[in-house]
Amino acid sequence: MDRMKKSDGEMLQGTLDMMILRALVMGPAHGHTIAHVIEHTSEDVLQVEQGSLYPALHRLEDRGWLESYWGASENNRKAKFYRLTSAGKKQLVLETNRWRQMARAIGLVMGE
Amino acid sequence: MSLRRFFRRRRNDAEVSIEMESYLSLESDENLVRGMSKEEARRQAYLKFGSPERIREEVWKRNSIAPLENALRDIRYAWRTLRRSPGYAFMAILTLGLGIGANAAIFTVINGILLRPLPYANPTQIVHLEQTASRVGADPIGFSVQEIADYRQLNHVFTDLAEYHSMTFTLLGSKVPERVSTGVVSANFFDVLGVKPVLGRLITPADETQKAEPVLVLSYAYWVKNFGRDPKILGRTFVMNDRVHTVVGVLPPLPEYPDANDVYMPTTSCPFRSNPKMIADRDMRMFTVFARMKADVTEAQARRDLATITNRLALIYPKSYPAAAGVSAQIAGLEHELTHAARPTFLTLLGAAGLVLLLACANLANLAISRQMRRSQEMAIRMATGASAWDIFRQLLTESMVVALAGGVLGLGIAAVGSKLLIDYAARMTPLSGEIHLDGRVLFFVAALSIVAGVLFGALPGFVASRNRLSVLTGSGERSVGSGQVTQARMVLVAVQVALSFVLLVCAGLMLQSLHKLLSVDPGFKTANVLSMRISLDWTKYAKRAELNQFFHQVLGRVSGLPGVESAAVSVMVPLNGNVGTMTGGILLEGRPVDPGEMMPQVDFELASPDYFHVLGVPILAGRAFTDGDNQNSPAVGIVNARMAKRFWPTQDPIGRHVSIDNGKTWITIVGVASSVHQYGLDKDLREGIYLPQDQSPSLTDAHLLVRTRVEPMRAANQIADVIHQIDPHQPVTEMRSLDQLRSAQLGTPRVTTILLGLFAALALFITVVGVSGTLALAVAHRTKEIGIRIALGAPKEEILHSVLMRGMSPVIAGIAAGAVAAIFSTRFLANMLFTIKPDDPLTLGGIAILLAVVALIGCAIPARNAIRVDPMKALRTE
Repeated sequence: MDRMKKSDGEMLQGTLDMMILRALVMGPAHGHTIAHVIEHTSEDVLQVEQGSLYPALHRLEDRGWLESYWGASENNRKAKFYRLTSAGKKQLVLETNRWRQMARAIGLVMGE
Repeated sequence: MSLRRFFRRRRNDAEVSIEMESYLSLESDENLVRGMSKEEARRQAYLKFGSPERIREEVWKRNSIAPLENALRDIRYAWRTLRRSPGYAFMAILTLGLGIGANAAIFTVINGILLRPLPYANPTQIVHLEQTASRVGADPIGFSVQEIADYRQLNHVFTDLAEYHSMTFTLLGSKVPERVSTGVVSANFFDVLGVKPVLGRLITPADETQKAEPVLVLSYAYWVKNFGRDPKILGRTFVMNDRVHTVVGVLPPLPEYPDANDVYMPTTSCPFRSNPKMIADRDMRMFTVFARMKADVTEAQARRDLATITNRLALIYPKSYPAAAGVSAQIAGLEHELTHAARPTFLTLLGAAGLVLLLACANLANLAISRQMRRSQEMAIRMATGASAWDIFRQLLTESMVVALAGGVLGLGIAAVGSKLLIDYAARMTPLSGEIHLDGRVLFFVAALSIVAGVLFGALPGFVASRNRLSVLTGSGERSVGSGQVTQARMVLVAVQVALSFVLLVCAGLMLQSLHKLLSVDPGFKTANVLSMRISLDWTKYAKRAELNQFFHQVLGRVSGLPGVESAAVSVMVPLNGNVGTMTGGILLEGRPVDPGEMMPQVDFELASPDYFHVLGVPILAGRAFTDGDNQNSPAVGIVNARMAKRFWPTQDPIGRHVSIDNGKTWITIVGVASSVHQYGLDKDLREGIYLPQDQSPSLTDAHLLVRTRVEPMRAANQIADVIHQIDPHQPVTEMRSLDQLRSAQLGTPRVTTILLGLFAALALFITVVGVSGTLALAVAHRTKEIGIRIALGAPKEEILHSVLMRGMSPVIAGIAAGAVAAIFSTRFLANMLFTIKPDDPLTLGGIAILLAVVALIGCAIPARNAIRVDPMKALRTE
């Protein structure tokens, strides 16, 4: 369902989901914060394309990994906050492990 | 993708918008902090974010289900189309609503009485045992106490045998003395049926011993009606038959089977059943037997086992089972017993209603096709702009589905009302009528029926339209390729309609003739101005014959003296009351000894007071009627009916002959011959019968008072009841009815069946004629040009008329032929509902064929008239 993004910070298929889950480990956040967290922690290498952020959030919520509630944002506007569910936490562990294996395997191939 | 999300798409979309808005404002706030201008901050935020519309679209798509989306669009489109032609929509929905409603109402009844499991444990194992003397008569003769004991002991196929009979007793202890219908049962009766009490306990073996305290179990209905579900009813005492009875339990709601009893008591509490003579006499066959078959026993095995026992008993007691009587025991499944009378009627009605619905569908299909032809341009344009044949088909099917489902909703309403009206009617045929109500299964049936109807009348027009191609646009118009097929399809539809309505009309015609024959049966007596009421005397209070006779003499004397009364009489039975069994017995004729092993001739008995024949208007053909002189102290006399006189004394005068009903102990002198009457029902054959004077007979405790009145009988009823209460204030008077009421009650079931079938048939005829006429009208309209040319070329009007009528009538004739074949096969199911008419009565078949042809011809007349009035100039100029 996701289309390949053609920006500089292009992401590997499926990694966005993982990163969203990771970004929420610190606590509930709304879409803007999530995007910022990903961008900042990647030292601005990864640019989250907003067009894929929101569908991804809805998808993750559908799968039961996230739950959402309405709250007030920093500038006192109505904003939708997302929170990891316990299923989401398990999923994060699962994907992190898989990512580590993958990263190591690619590293080996690349002779690092 | 969840359906929940699908239906929340709009809300979701709004949420996403708010979410994105909050993102954008946060981002532009940050940009402001970075020192951008307000507009620039906003612009940069948008640039970074991308198009919110695209995101909304993506989320929307994620939450969509494509086929559902299309269906909803089709439904909305169909809805708009239908709203543009409200006349068609209204007509179609009404037709289908009526059709579906009729089917659903009848199905509700069938669901209640045939499809729902009986409220007994493992009902298929319960059987009703019947003993018959096949060479004497078809009616069951019951079991004696001795026989029940033997069958209990000797059988290998039943887990248990239960005994049952019902009597009316007076119950004292309520506000007023009350006559209660009482089921007298063996202790295991409720175990055999598999019934648990809702309150207290049921009857146990300890209750059935001679020394046990009498107990009562109340029926659910009686408990609700008289005691308002009072849980404190347990332990309450009532006096019955001079003994104190204690209520120990209440039954759950059950079908009124074997009878509508108010209370139940063990066999030992019934003075009639516990009489030592009754217990000892093997030939006193008065009781009903139910049994539960062992789980692994088949009905065939049970029958063989019963036959073995019968043979064995016949060897031991040859006198009780004379070979000439043909005594044998049979079983009938409880389920069969409860439903067999209603099954053919309601299945026939469902069949008829189904045919009407089918007809309605055919008509709507026909109508839809002609609508289609008017819309063919629209369809052609849609196809030219890329709609596939499937799209067109689907859209038309959706349209018919919307109509059908709306019809289904209407039908459900009609069924809710209709099934209520059918309850009383069903109650005449089965004790299960209390089970009739709408439930999930009926809802499912209506939904399924609506869908089937929608497909039936939507598929054909859809098919026709989707194959329409582009011919319409190229100007070749109606005469192009598809049109021939369309006409053919319509002709077939008309033929099918005619065939279906032919079958329905034949069924209705047969029922109508049968009813007419029943109506014209002469019962043998005059029903007008005769009132009957039941007087069930207290068993113990009138134990002595003298007291009993004195009571009746007082009643007859005072009632006859009332101003509106012409004469009064008492008897055991009311004529035409089909619910009461016959009183039949063997008779001995003077000078004609019966060989041992031969059966005594069987005749019906009736007890009558002197004015009986006058009250009923039964002519005395020879000799005399009874008089007050025929009492206990005078010689025993009897009056035979004409049929009995003819059978036993075909060439002699029966007056003065002697017969015995007690095997020769006493002899009765015949003093008169009365005309024969249909005592047990209009459709029952006359039988040999003998009347005995009430004063000379064994005690008559369950009697009927018959009164010939000068005024409308029901108006005199209360006055007469008052007189009886003056004589004995505790004596209940029940079942006050006029003989005319009894007679019409007898005709009630066939009358309602006939009316319903007639209604369906009339509807079918109407729908068919509309179909025939409409199809022909359209055909004429399409051929206007051709007809115009022919007229212009000088074709005589007769020829035009002939050709048009031939065209209109050919599917009708084909339909009648097909219908006749179908009718011959299908009317067989009616056979047991018909009275003195055969289901393949050729006169009916022929008559209906002519009727249908004539009505169809009339239906063709208007289009035919239009055809010969075609103005050739106008017709040619139109194109």
